[in-house]
This record gives sequence, C-alpha cells and structure tokens, in this order.
Amino acid sequence: MFDVFFSNLPYFMKGAVQTVWLALAGVGFGTIFGLIIGVANASMGGGVAKFINVYVFLIRGIPVLVWMFLAYYMLPQLGLIIGDLFAVIGSLILYTGAFVSEIARGAVLSVPKHQIDSAKALGMNKFNILRLVIIPQAMKMSIPSLLNNSVMMIKATAYVSVVGVWELTYAAREVVERTLAAFQVFFGVMCIYFLICYPLTIVASQLEKRYSYEH
Amino acid sequence: MEIFIDYFGLSFIQSQLPRFWNGFQLTIAIAAASMIGAVTWGLLLVGPRMSGIKPIVWPLMAYVEFIRNTPLILQIYLSYFGLPLIGLPLSAFICGVIAIASQHGAFLCEIIRSGIEAVSKQQWEGALALGMTKRKAKYNVILPQALLKVVPPIGNQLVILIKDTSLVSAIGIIELTLSGKMVIERSGASFEVFLFIALLYLILTTTFGLILRFVEIYLRERQ
Repeated sequence: MFDVFFSNLPYFMKGAVQTVWLALAGVGFGTIFGLIIGVANASMGGGVAKFINVYVFLIRGIPVLVWMFLAYYMLPQLGLIIGDLFAVIGSLILYTGAFVSEIARGAVLSVPKHQIDSAKALGMNKFNILRLVIIPQAMKMSIPSLLNNSVMMIKATAYVSVVGVWELTYAAREVVERTLAAFQVFFGVMCIYFLICYPLTIVASQLEKRYSYEH
Repeated sequence: MEIFIDYFGLSFIQSQLPRFWNGFQLTIAIAAASMIGAVTWGLLLVGPRMSGIKPIVWPLMAYVEFIRNTPLILQIYLSYFGLPLIGLPLSAFICGVIAIASQHGAFLCEIIRSGIEAVSKQQWEGALALGMTKRKAKYNVILPQALLKVVPPIGNQLVILIKDTSLVSAIGIIELTLSGKMVIERSGASFEVFLFIALLYLILTTTFGLILRFVEIYLRERQ
C-alpha cells in the first residue's frame, strides 16, 4: 500500500537530512541568541529590556510564514543578496530567539531571591552571581521548555517549503505532483517528522516529571 | 504628506486595500471556524482521554502525540489532497479548517487534561468528605478551579491558531498572506506590502490577546 512512499524513500531521506540541517542551524543559533537576550532582559532592565520586549512582541504577534516572506522579499531589495536558504534560516533564528528569550527570562526570574541575597552576602560580584548561582539553576528549570520549543521550531522548518526552499515537505510535494499518491506520501513523510520530533518530546516530558517531584 | 505617502509606497497599498480587506476577512473567517472546531474537538477528546479505559485511551494518546509531533502544513496537505481520495471532495476552506482544528484540538485536549489533573487530590477528597456526590464535586469544585488554570494556556494556543491560519495559503486559499504574495508577484511591488500584512496580523493577534486578558480577569474576579 505504501509502495510509492518506499520507492521514493532515498529521496525523502535526502529531504530529511536537509530538514535536520535547517533545524540545527535555525533552532541551534536561535536558542543561543534567545538565551543571551533573555538573560539580558531579566538582568539588565531599562532601555535594553524595553527594546527586547518590543522585539519579542513583534515576532510573536506575526506568523513565522509572514516573517519568511518578508525576509525573502525584503533582503534582496535592501541589497542583501544572501539566497533564499539563508533568508529563511535567518527568520527561523529570529523567531526561535524570541520564544527562547521568554523562556530564559522566566527561568532567571524564578530563581528564589534568597539565593541571590546569600550570594551577595558571600561577597560575589554581579557577574559571578549570574554565572555561578542564577544560570545553573535557571538552566535546569528551562530545559523541558527549551526542548518543547525546539520541537515547535522543527515543525516550523516545514513552512519554508511554502516560500520555495527545498527540504522534506517540498520533496513530498514534488513526489505527489509526479505520482498523485497523496495519502501515502504525506502520511509517510509525517511519520519521518514524527520520528525526528517524538524523542525530543519524550525527553522533555520525562525531565518535566523528574523536576516536578523535586519541588 | 504626498511625498511621505509616495516614499513608503503607501499610495500603492491604498489602491490594493480592497484585496487586503478580502484576505483579512477570510483570515478571520478561517480563524473563527477553526477555533470553534478546535475547542469542540478538544472538549470531546478530553473525556475519553481521561476515562482510564485502556482500549480508548491508547488510540487517543497515539492520535494526540502523532498530531502534536508533525507539522501542520503536512496535515493541511493531507486533508486537502487526501480527503478527496476517500470520497470526500470538500472545498479548500473546509479542508484547511479541518486540519487546523484537528491539530489545535489535540493541543487543547492536553492543556485541559493537565489543567484538570493540576487541581489537587485533596480538593476531591474534601468535596467528597463534605458529602457531595461525585458529579457535584466534579462540576462545583474541580472544573471551576480547572477552568481558571486552563484559560491562559488555551488563550496562548488560540493566538498560535490565528497565526497558523497563514499556512492555508499553501493550498490556494487567498487569505491575508496569499493576497500579499499575489499583489507582490503580479505588480512587482516592493516588500512594504508584507510589512503592511505583518501589521494587520499584529493588530489581529494583539486584539485577540487583549480580549482574552479581559476574560481571564473577569473569571478570576467572579470566583
């Protein structure tokens, strides 16, 4: 029943590799970027925090697909000819960054205040408090959310096919246009995505359970 | 003023306003239909999901996990290209709504379930100790508390749903995103068109977020 899917499996595997690359680049750099601005938002305040909040508000209120189209049309007109692939990776990074920064901010702010007071009493300076006291605790709390967010963004890499960048979903559409075997191809490709995403979901929910017992 | 309008290409956007207005209305229609569908679907699923009867719970869990871990765009393709194959030639609009509602319904089911489970066991025991029947305890003690816990995450999910309606542009529904793309491709206009589209989405999600905030405050004050 799934003969068309299996006969095109090598092609889909190539697409899956491209999807994983997109995810690693977009989600990886986006997470690093988001952690930096999230911690900055929580610990610096003032103008920096306001600027980051506006950025997060803009990114989260607008669909990622619109950001991709915007990057796709805008960057070449501004003279930045970096290719479709990098335009969509850029928008994935910015998008992931906004969500991750909120997670990081929440985690930093949820570190109990007495921890910070004790660290001050021990004579630590502000940077060391952040590095040795706040970040290790915040990191642990935020890992499940970061994993869930990564799953969300891996799914979002499929949207780049609408803009016209080749990856797994685009490959699926090509094969369907050629063979008209819509059901088996789309369902099969969904299974490939499931195999990529579900392990992360399981790890996230296990960690969530473990941490919720400790509190 | 004229120079200002021309500089940002606003006069062009002004001339295309009817098209954007049509797209905007369609986006709202899809979002509203999908929201009704998703909330209904989520509420329908959550009872059997929590029933504790294994032959019912396992397939539901498999469905929910599969839907939650696969991209919405593929679900939209599957319903648009797949449903006609099993003898259901539905319009693109309905296929899009079915796909969005089934994905977000699965998310809402999990949100509601965890909200109900988050109401502590002592509340159950307390209610039963006061001589309430199970039914009364459920409707007067557990569910009102669960509702308070569940409204903010449901709101977030529905805002995501509004943004996800942009994906039905992939199956040729001329909603806001596709109307912007068509205007750009037909007229060779510049990217300001998409800034305008982005602004419209921002207005839509922010307005909806504010309404939800009011609902939340209203519910909290009533209790």
